[in-house]
Amino acid sequence: MRREGRSNGVRRGAARGRAGVRPWRGQRERPGGGRAWGGCPGAPALDGPEPVRAQAPASPGAAALPGKRDPQRTAFLLRKQWSLYSVTPLYRFCEARLRDYGRQLGAFIAAERQKGLAVEVGVELDVKVAVSCLPDLKGSEQDQAALLLQLSTRSPTSKKNSEDKVVWLGWFCCVAGDELSENLPEDFTCLPLFLVHGAERYTAIVGGWFQKTFDCYFRRLTISPLSLSWMAAMWAGCKEDKATSAMELLFSVPCLPQPLDISYAIHAEDAKALWDTVQKTPGEITQEEVDVFMDCLYSHFHRHFKIYLSATKLVKVSTAIASAHSDGIVKFFQSQYLTGVLMLLTELAISQIQ
Amino acid sequence: MDETVAEYIRRTVLKIPRDEIKTMLQKWGFLSEAQLQNINFHQIKENISQEVVQLCEENCADIKQAAVLDIIYNHIYQNKRMWSVYQMNKKGEETEIFDLTDFKKKIKRQLRTALKNVTINFREYEDNAIWIRVAWGTPYTKPNQYKTSYAVYHSQTPYVFISASVFRSNLPLLCQALVVATSYQDIREMELRGHSLSSLKDIVFRRYSQNFQTHCPRPLQERNVAPENVDLRIIRENKTEKEKIERVNWEVFGHGPQPKLEFAQYKLETTFRSDPKMHILDKKEPFRCMVKFSSPNLLESLKSLAPAGMADAPLSPLLTCIPHKARNYFKIRDKKDLLPGGFTSP
Repeated sequence: MRREGRSNGVRRGAARGRAGVRPWRGQRERPGGGRAWGGCPGAPALDGPEPVRAQAPASPGAAALPGKRDPQRTAFLLRKQWSLYSVTPLYRFCEARLRDYGRQLGAFIAAERQKGLAVEVGVELDVKVAVSCLPDLKGSEQDQAALLLQLSTRSPTSKKNSEDKVVWLGWFCCVAGDELSENLPEDFTCLPLFLVHGAERYTAIVGGWFQKTFDCYFRRLTISPLSLSWMAAMWAGCKEDKATSAMELLFSVPCLPQPLDISYAIHAEDAKALWDTVQKTPGEITQEEVDVFMDCLYSHFHRHFKIYLSATKLVKVSTAIASAHSDGIVKFFQSQYLTGVLMLLTELAISQIQ
Repeated sequence: MDETVAEYIRRTVLKIPRDEIKTMLQKWGFLSEAQLQNINFHQIKENISQEVVQLCEENCADIKQAAVLDIIYNHIYQNKRMWSVYQMNKKGEETEIFDLTDFKKKIKRQLRTALKNVTINFREYEDNAIWIRVAWGTPYTKPNQYKTSYAVYHSQTPYVFISASVFRSNLPLLCQALVVATSYQDIREMELRGHSLSSLKDIVFRRYSQNFQTHCPRPLQERNVAPENVDLRIIRENKTEKEKIERVNWEVFGHGPQPKLEFAQYKLETTFRSDPKMHILDKKEPFRCMVKFSSPNLLESLKSLAPAGMADAPLSPLLTCIPHKARNYFKIRDKKDLLPGGFTSP
């Protein structure tokens, strides 16, 4: 029986342009080379000295996790705009006490409303809190299961059996976050990525309660142009069956007398064809390959317009798989790649924490 | 007074910024000066509009007067609308004397024959601009005053500027009416769109400052008003290069302010060519892209790219040709003949 290895497609190092070695990682850094990120999200990278792990899974993004993954259960996460935060490890969080936490959080929100915060003008609504687990969103067994929080209200005028209206959604997750989780002391839970959809006033309250209860710290997660170009290269290479939307890159030049935005959209097939000629080994991406890919796009643009896109700021990448904005806003479009993208975002969250 | 008319006037007044309401009502001229004196223009807009509606009631306003107020509003706030430019052409060289009354009659006749329920209003402005307001209905419903199209025709030119509304299906009807009423042969939409109506006019009427080849710009040293830094230890290393870029930029863009456009869109269907050493994507098929530039003032923004170091000077003719070619939508394909690096835009 073949043992399923961890689909840990993530390797840190000089690849991502950061010079320093993180203190608690010891000597895992590899000098030069810069292998990082599995090919299509979810595929493991091939290392030098370490033995080759599991094969790249057939379905990209389906990390090697026992049990079936049901896309229906996570379908509600798609096509919504999520704001990203990095979260430091939670102290003394207990998965068995979810209902307790839900009650406590509900009481906290009610108390804040009494104080006059989180109140919609003229509307007195009871906010219900539902806390649950999303076991499908894991990179490996070592990852903590994703935690979903749902705030809903019911209008006092509506009928008894009517549905509650969901006003706010937030979820914590950790996909292939071993780098952080394996070095944590006992009482800490690693859920470094937080995604939220809904009113800011609720986010502030929920965040405040978590910070108070679990001694953690939330911070907006921004995405650098370097990371965005990685996403562009990775997502351009993913195989798509049906005709899909273009790969769109958005560049911003704010510091001119009149600010300028440049949208550069490439037909999905042509972008993939370009990436396929750049990528040398399937299942593996290097920094050089990403650079070549982006340089090709820049030079094609320069040939036409004489403008150096490399001098501008890449602020958004949008493909059929997902879109990401440098302000830390993402949208997921496809279930099968969800875990892969989360793996990337978990990595970014962990870097921001450390 | 019809309730719909009252409501329409009320809503139109609410759109106007409070400080502008009195001036606009005076321009409208429907309420007497005495009536205007009685309105308190310092109260909240809700109340002002109510008072205006009451006075209009006294004067028995109908939809025609209300439409005129709407034209005045849209003329002053013309930049809120998106305008497309249309060009008409005629076969022969005969120029006919333009008769305004005849023109209006023909427009009305054309539109009313095709569609029973329309409201049509005209207003003339300086520089021969005729503003035409059309509110569209259907064979079974009254015209919707909130979904209007505007056409601005300059009688001494073949150009019409149209701001269509939601009912784009009525555009062909409007275009046909214009062709018939002006005795032109046909009309076509130019690939030029923007919010600033005056800038669109500047572009098609060639009113922006052109760069004349014979014009020699004054040397940069004279233009430089700010006192030079007296500290001799500071040397600007690439002074000549900077001056060269500035000069080339000025030659290409001209000296005056640029007409105001908000975007330019390029559909690229050229083949991908990179450094031959890299053997990247040597395909014959085109590398399909869509590039869109947006800015509050696009041409000024593009003009500042080379001096900022983000572009070569001169900038690509694909961008600098926008005012000359009077278009901001392009389809670019490879030149089929000799020059490998050239482009044509059909």
